[in-house]
Amino acid sequence: MLQYVTLTIDGSSVRAAKGTSVLDAAIEYGICIPHLCHVPVLSDTGACRLCIVEHVKNGRSTITTSCTLNVQEGMVINSNTEKVVKLRRNIAELLVAEAPNSRAIQDIAVRCGVKDVRYPFRNNNCVQCGRCVRYCTQFWRANALGFVGRGKERHVDYPLGVRPDFCKNCGSCTLYCPMSVTPCDGPMKHGEERLCGKCESQLSMSVGLPGACVKCELGKGFQCARQA
Amino acid sequence: MPRLNNISKLEALRKNLQKKMKSFHTTMIICNGTCTQAAGSLDVIKSIKKELTRHGLEKDVHVRLTGCHGFCEHEPIIVFEPGNLFYCHVTAEDAKELIAKTVLKGEVIERLLYEDPLTHKKFRTEEEIPFYKAQDRQLLSLNKFVDPCSIEDYISRGGYGALAKTLTGIAPETVIEEVRESGLRGRGGGGFSTGRKWLECYEEPGDEKYVICNADEGDPGAYMDRCLLEANPHLIIEGMMIGAWAVGARQGYIYVRHEYPLAVRHARFAINQARAYGLLGDNILGTSFSFDIEIARGGGAFVCGESTALMASIEGKVGEPRPKDIHTVKSGLWDKPTVLNNVETWANVPSIILNGSKSFASKGTKGSKGTKIFALTGQVKNTGLVEVAMGTTLHDIVFNIGGGSKNGKSIKAVQTGGPSGGCLPVSKFGLPVDFDALTKAGSMMGSGGMVVMDEGTCMVDVAKYFLNFLRDESCGKCVPCRLGVDRMLEIVTDITEGRGRPEQIDLLKELADTVSEGSLCALGKTAPNPVLSTMRYFYDEYAAHVEKKRCPAGVCKSLISYTIHPEKCEGCGICIKACPHNAVRGEKKKAHVINLLECRKCGICVAECKFDAIMVG
Repeated sequence: MLQYVTLTIDGSSVRAAKGTSVLDAAIEYGICIPHLCHVPVLSDTGACRLCIVEHVKNGRSTITTSCTLNVQEGMVINSNTEKVVKLRRNIAELLVAEAPNSRAIQDIAVRCGVKDVRYPFRNNNCVQCGRCVRYCTQFWRANALGFVGRGKERHVDYPLGVRPDFCKNCGSCTLYCPMSVTPCDGPMKHGEERLCGKCESQLSMSVGLPGACVKCELGKGFQCARQA
Repeated sequence: MPRLNNISKLEALRKNLQKKMKSFHTTMIICNGTCTQAAGSLDVIKSIKKELTRHGLEKDVHVRLTGCHGFCEHEPIIVFEPGNLFYCHVTAEDAKELIAKTVLKGEVIERLLYEDPLTHKKFRTEEEIPFYKAQDRQLLSLNKFVDPCSIEDYISRGGYGALAKTLTGIAPETVIEEVRESGLRGRGGGGFSTGRKWLECYEEPGDEKYVICNADEGDPGAYMDRCLLEANPHLIIEGMMIGAWAVGARQGYIYVRHEYPLAVRHARFAINQARAYGLLGDNILGTSFSFDIEIARGGGAFVCGESTALMASIEGKVGEPRPKDIHTVKSGLWDKPTVLNNVETWANVPSIILNGSKSFASKGTKGSKGTKIFALTGQVKNTGLVEVAMGTTLHDIVFNIGGGSKNGKSIKAVQTGGPSGGCLPVSKFGLPVDFDALTKAGSMMGSGGMVVMDEGTCMVDVAKYFLNFLRDESCGKCVPCRLGVDRMLEIVTDITEGRGRPEQIDLLKELADTVSEGSLCALGKTAPNPVLSTMRYFYDEYAAHVEKKRCPAGVCKSLISYTIHPEKCEGCGICIKACPHNAVRGEKKKAHVINLLECRKCGICVAECKFDAIMVG
């Protein structure tokens, strides 16, 4: 039988089954914590750091990712404090500066409150969220994709750089890739990247409602509870 | 080789070995660690052995090849026993004279004695030398007595005595309590209480547990773990065995970098020797305790020194950290309770058991007990390994032991704790080396690297160096560390190349906070420390780079130019010949001029000029 625990997220009491993550519990109750690398059927790694929350324990709060944090009885979680919002904004800013040509990343950036980007844009093809790698290895067990190298050299690649026979051609890697959603106005030219901010007009309506989110394309592949 | 299946056999063997050691007329202790081999010890050993054979002295003179003694600046070092006569900078050509004079006649060769660079006084024995005198060498002093490839040496010096004592009469709880009482804190950098870690692991249910020795030392300029593992592997093995007995583990791993070939070889050799004597394996010393150690070699990724990344690496996975919401003492290697300690931590365990926690705790400060080994490098006279009691001030280490500045420039800062630590200015040299005091000052103890910098070092450049290191060594898993450090490097590079804007300094600070708060593992969380600490103590240097576009130390090439002082220049023409880019022009006996367009700022002319006529600014 499922065992349930009660925890507090952003002041509201939430009941969740033991073993679920704080992020899953929050999404189920419509508390939108932005996230990128989390995919429902896969294990979580805490790589994108967008879903960071404040975990208050014994009067001290620690910053941790909600996707890797399992629910516990009486836990107190704050997902919308000033500190978390600022951190999340800075992380989203780093991401969007890396890959402005993704609608998903642009949306996340706007939703996290990025107003302008203070770094030169880089226009990379990959933000290394690892969604494709984990889908390939954990869901299909194909192991046709993986991370290669470390630090600046790290990238997603086939084993030894050649597409292996055991790639099932399922296309999940493309489906789950945040880069496959192009911005509304089409891809930006090199050197002309900008924060497109198309979702900002919708965002202004929800200002003041903590945890409220925008109806955006993000929901499609990215598990936002309020997409309907 | 006899299997030691009870304690009396171990004691009998020890007595036998001690008798055998006494039969030698003289013992020549030659250090032969990696650093000494680089200084040419292999040739020295070869020629000494040849000379000994020629004189027929092989049976009377015992040559003991040990690990590094710590005084790396003056290697190769030979110490004679009895008498403790100390020779440094020995070369292969000295072998003949050494045997003929010192071994056969007992004469002292003045030329090979250590000479103090300031007073020019010569010292005959190790104990008299100021470098050693100012230290408190609890672990390093053992190196001299033990050949790392000889378990017999180790046993004759009382080795495995602490293990015997533990197995025959101390319950695991008591061992843990003893270690906790001693106040031993993790020497790898975190400074977590070792006893508490063991207790948490001991209390975890399950009979499959692991102990791991972390010898994946990657800080630039730090090598104390390598030295310990190379010089005295049995000490670490004994420490691990006591730890395994305490927490209930049957299997241990030594995770050591592949780049430390000698350490790998010595550790492997030591494990095989211990197995042959029955000190590793089933039913050790006739008790119910069974334990074995394997060596796991790391590929040299800095991040694999992080506990969870290290365990992933041993498991054969990619060395990336995982979130530590569940601690490794609960779920570590293969998801089993695991105790991971640094080499130096394990090395401290046998003496705590043998001499009691009180004798260990008698040294050090309130929060940090015992001694700590530092790798003293950079612009000091005496570089090497330094072991001091906790609470010794930085000033004592840099000036009394290190001997002060190497080339006459005044010392400006010391960088402690490697890439995760920070730079402390001279005004903070009164600080004691203590886990909490250093953290409070914005640096950290780290594993014990200590790089001394003088006036010729640009602190922005230092920050850039460490950021560059961290960007390459970050595993790249989480966004703040991978992208954040990269962007920080981008900004700092802008500053050093003269493109810095004032608002970038604020951005750098904000970014540093984001990286330290948002990163997944300790590597990311401490990555901004070099930047934050240099900004805190050397803000004026950042300001000079950004506002005045000037590098006060004259290091950042884009911000400096070389000019020749027309009055000082004698027109000798040396700089004209030396310049690889033909940027210096001028006639003989007339002041030369540097063509700024062609000058690549390599600095060769400054080094060559005998009249100090070339100015950097």
